[in-house]
Amino acid sequence: DRPIIGPGSLPSELFAARSRSHKIPVRGQKDFFPNDSDEQRQRLEQSLNEHWSLISEERVEKLGNLVKATWIPSEQIVELQSPAGKFWQTMGFSAKGKQFLLPEEALYLMECGNVQVFYRDLPLSIQDGYEKFLSSSTVSLQQYQVFGHLKRLGYVVHRFHPSSEPSSYARQLNLPQCRDRAGRQLKRKRSASEEEEKRPESHLTMSPETSSTQTATASSAHKGGGRTWWMTDVLRDRPDQRPASRTSRWDFSSIPFPDLGSQKCLSSCLASPDPSLLPGSLAVGVCDIALWTRKINLREVKMSSKEQKREEDKRRRRWDVNKDREVQQCTNWAEYRKLLARRQGKRKGRPEHLWDREVTPLHDPRQPIPTGELLDKISVIESTHLLEGASRLKGSDDWRICFNVYQPDSVADFKKSNPGKPYSRMCVCSFDGPVPDLRAIKLLSFQSGDIPVVFAVVDHGDISFYTFKDFQLPTDVYP
Amino acid sequence: MEEPPPRTAATSVCDSSPLAVSLCDSAPLLWRVGDLRSVRAQGLVGALLGALPRTPRQNVRLGRPLLLLPEEERLLTERHVTPPTAPSTDNQDGGVELQVQQYQEAQQRSYEEQSVLALEDRKSALLRAMTSSPTESGDESLQRRLVALESSFSFPRSAMAVQLSTARAGLSYCADARDFLRADWPIRAQDEPRRAARYQVFRDLRGRGFYLTSAGKFGGDFLVYPGDPLRFHAHFIAVCVSLDESLSLLDILAVSRLGSNVKKTVLLCSPGTDGRVAYTSLQWSGMV
Repeated sequence: DRPIIGPGSLPSELFAARSRSHKIPVRGQKDFFPNDSDEQRQRLEQSLNEHWSLISEERVEKLGNLVKATWIPSEQIVELQSPAGKFWQTMGFSAKGKQFLLPEEALYLMECGNVQVFYRDLPLSIQDGYEKFLSSSTVSLQQYQVFGHLKRLGYVVHRFHPSSEPSSYARQLNLPQCRDRAGRQLKRKRSASEEEEKRPESHLTMSPETSSTQTATASSAHKGGGRTWWMTDVLRDRPDQRPASRTSRWDFSSIPFPDLGSQKCLSSCLASPDPSLLPGSLAVGVCDIALWTRKINLREVKMSSKEQKREEDKRRRRWDVNKDREVQQCTNWAEYRKLLARRQGKRKGRPEHLWDREVTPLHDPRQPIPTGELLDKISVIESTHLLEGASRLKGSDDWRICFNVYQPDSVADFKKSNPGKPYSRMCVCSFDGPVPDLRAIKLLSFQSGDIPVVFAVVDHGDISFYTFKDFQLPTDVYP
Repeated sequence: MEEPPPRTAATSVCDSSPLAVSLCDSAPLLWRVGDLRSVRAQGLVGALLGALPRTPRQNVRLGRPLLLLPEEERLLTERHVTPPTAPSTDNQDGGVELQVQQYQEAQQRSYEEQSVLALEDRKSALLRAMTSSPTESGDESLQRRLVALESSFSFPRSAMAVQLSTARAGLSYCADARDFLRADWPIRAQDEPRRAARYQVFRDLRGRGFYLTSAGKFGGDFLVYPGDPLRFHAHFIAVCVSLDESLSLLDILAVSRLGSNVKKTVLLCSPGTDGRVAYTSLQWSGMV
């Protein structure tokens, strides 16, 4: 089978191409060092000839196998003129009763020999496609390289739109997503109207949240106190409601309630209450509280350090310092102060050489603390997770996610209207540019949600894929 | 530095016709096979980006277009191989109508020719079938069958073979697009001295007969081959450093480690002021 060279092949050559081989020759072993041997020269010539014949071969297809399409530069999309083939399951979109392809999809299908795109009634060459379809306003050359690479491996690749990704709240509520590829593409020119369309949708997601907070504040205001504006609303709604503050005829400060837990209550019965406090002609006798005291925990409550201090101060005021022997031994104020400091340290277990300086111990060993918390206290580097603070970051033009990538084995069941969760999301960059900094990684991870972000780094003909994974150092202690 | 490779005879032959460098998203691409061959003959490899027509759904071997490195493009410009700006023939309405007519006529001719070929193909197939199998009747039944075939034969339009051209036919450059190349090529992200250093190193190594490709994923600037990359493995990873630049030891260790992992020698290349380039190779050796 003779290779076809040149843009204008003869009809006889085209006809003969129908029975062309579809296999590529396997590349042999490479040599390490060039010498002047004939053998090497021959092998090089053979490799080169093979190379040129493969490179110069043109795409030849039966007209019936080609889907016809036209390029519409004003909309930057390709409209199909004949029905779509198998590729329709994972590519393209319908709008206004017609089928369309995105420029990168059309170019890929042109390269596969599935689609023939016309412009002004003339067929576009692959070169025309590259020059017309790829630009910074549609898909750049580097992005197309990544697109093509992944498509050739069998992945399903769709453009990523941050506005159509549900917020983390919407995902929590499991709201159904609106898949509107058509609307997005065709209304690109009228971007203002697109924004208006999005707003009612976002209102839908926001209203459950706001209405619930509204009801919460209303109920808290109803209970008394609360904000003044709700108060007035409530008052307006219910004019018959009594105001919250009102003078009472009872002076509760003068009516003592029995404290069954206090030490003073040693008797096993309570005296009967003042009859003037009781309603009507009710008479109450003596109450046996033995049963209740048994039920109450009469253990003394440990006082907090503040309470202890207060008790100590009270005690100290009653106690005469001059009677203290150690104080009598002090000959001047300086010695007295030193005595006080020593006593302070001893009392609290906090020796002054540790606690009275600029740098104090991290933790008082007399205070109980779980081991996990102690480890946190002594850690120098604080652990953080990738999405911490990410929601506060503002987007930038330098780094953005281009594509959603879905796995090849899902192709059979793939539905464009409901593609499900992507396998990963691509961000295209190059080795000439900067390495993504933490800020960029946080921003993109946040935009992506729970789908990993992969950086496709393009280096001329080569693409390398990198991803950053969040990692927590293990703690050996479980509290 | 090892000995430069022996020069092959056809290295410095330049094609008489200028190269058609097409700009796509401000990247220089070559589409015509003749241009690719001519550039390869000058020892410039480039990188293929497109799907291979024979097997489009794989990434092992790619096809046209060929993307040129900025250094390769600059070298070609210096050798006056790239053409000066020429007016675009794209927007001539009268021309388009004529082209459409010509195209449709060519398609019709192709269809007619292919119909004839298809009929002949069927006839010879019938002949082979009749003569190979032992049958009773001789030429008469064969003639009848052939006549029947001719009258009933139809070659539908959908069966016609059509070519989807890779390169655009004819010459048409976009005049203003050439100026974009200077401004928007991604390597602009790097500073000017860095670009100049890279170019000097590239030109020097190419001048010594080495073949160079991009080495981003190897942590360097260029991969240096002793001969055509189709036949030989790369020996060096060239990293361009300016003479007065101080390198941290960690960077040197990192690049050396990378080199030893892929069994290539790291070459630190520093262009000097006199136009010569100083080369320092790094090799990981033991304490022998």
